[in-house]
Amino acid sequence: MQYLVSVIDDKTGSATAAEMAAINAFNDRIEAEGHWVFAGGLAAPTAATVIDNTGGGEAVFTDGPFLESKEYLAGFWIIEAADLDVALKLAAEGSKACNRKVEVRPFL
Amino acid sequence: MVAALTRRFGDLDIAEEAAAEAFATAVERWPADGVPPNPGAWLTTTANRKAIDRIRRESKRDDKQKEAQMVYDDDPGEPPGAIDDERLRLIFTCCHPALAMETRMALTLRMVGGLTMPEIARAFLVQESTMGQRITRAKAKIKAARVPYRVPSAEDLPARVSGVLAVLFLVFNEGYLATGPDSDPVRHDLTAEAIRLTRLIRTLMPDDGEVAGLLALMLLTEARRTARVSASGELVPLAEQDRGAWDVALVAEGHRLVRERLAAGVAPGRYQILAAINAVHTSARDVRDTDWSQVVALYDQLVRLDASPIIALNRAIAVAELDGPEVALAAVDRLEDKLAGYHAYHATRADLLRRLGRSQKSRAAYDKAIELAGNTAETAYLTRRRDQLG
Repeated sequence: MQYLVSVIDDKTGSATAAEMAAINAFNDRIEAEGHWVFAGGLAAPTAATVIDNTGGGEAVFTDGPFLESKEYLAGFWIIEAADLDVALKLAAEGSKACNRKVEVRPFL
Repeated sequence: MVAALTRRFGDLDIAEEAAAEAFATAVERWPADGVPPNPGAWLTTTANRKAIDRIRRESKRDDKQKEAQMVYDDDPGEPPGAIDDERLRLIFTCCHPALAMETRMALTLRMVGGLTMPEIARAFLVQESTMGQRITRAKAKIKAARVPYRVPSAEDLPARVSGVLAVLFLVFNEGYLATGPDSDPVRHDLTAEAIRLTRLIRTLMPDDGEVAGLLALMLLTEARRTARVSASGELVPLAEQDRGAWDVALVAEGHRLVRERLAAGVAPGRYQILAAINAVHTSARDVRDTDWSQVVALYDQLVRLDASPIIALNRAIAVAELDGPEVALAAVDRLEDKLAGYHAYHATRADLLRRLGRSQKSRAAYDKAIELAGNTAETAYLTRRRDQLG
């Protein structure tokens, strides 16, 4: 079963060198153990664009992130885990490695 | 199932009636609620509960003894077996750390304790619909996020057990000092349930100090239940209780557990220390025989483990007996900014001020305590003390 592990950040500035090293080590490990599906860091919210193509007319583009908020999505892992206990354990290590809060959410 | 019920309750009539009621409830509820993961265990747990309810309703003397047996010793000599394994799996699932504490409590009471929705809603002072939603969402989360239905592995067990103990302690406290202006001040169904579940955890971890400590704490507290509330519905504090009304067998079992933990020679955790404090109190035939220096020494240990201001408050109450109300009041006043919203803080100040003869300040403190108190028996008691001031 797959879970999204979202990294929550509240300040600008990417990972420090030490954090990067820890994240890489963590990624290597979970890949070897068969949990790694995908992972990546995201550019800052200022680099985002919102598109609304729900209306009848043309698509509407808006500069900036969907939500203006203090906390934002900085990156994520998609992991494969048998149950929530496994996912939580991995996510806890991920949180430690990247030194930020994470949210664990199951895929449908 | 009827056989197992009969073995436990020693009464075929009760067993059959309980089993029939359980099936009827299943027929009524499962279409709406969904079939539980282990239908057999659900039926047995429900039937057990209905049997206990019936025994309680009948007030014959030997039935009271049967009820007492259930509080004292959940499974008299029976091998644990599949049903206990089922209940343990259920408890750990209901107490999963991914669920909010109040959700864990509600879910445990519903799924493991078999309390009805109205009963649980009343216990936590929320609307039935709110409680229903909380439990439905919890079940949905358990399903969607795939919370595993199992007893945790050996390496995870210690952390998970302390989570379960926290839930059971809260359930017990809710029964011991029930909140709400319309609640019964002491709710025996909750305290009995908490004790029963703690015993069950003890079968899983018979050598765990904190499990034993929590059980001892609950038993020593439950032993004083009938002495705690007067006929007029007022709280009777420890110093004024009729000690002859304390349950001798529960006290004895609690003391045995405390001695067992002392003999183990392992540094005690929170529950063990709280149990030891209760053991000191319940060892005194009369309040004047209480070994207060022991109590203070135990609180000193507890304060090192848990810096909670409430523990500091309780320590100060003991200090008053040893060093006098003036010293104690100084210690209590230092907790002002942390405990200003807590009724027991004001009640303690009121009592100390009263003993120091400062009636006006005492009255003001009683007023504040009454305003903040959430329990009917406590409110009655505090009102009387305030009105007794000169």
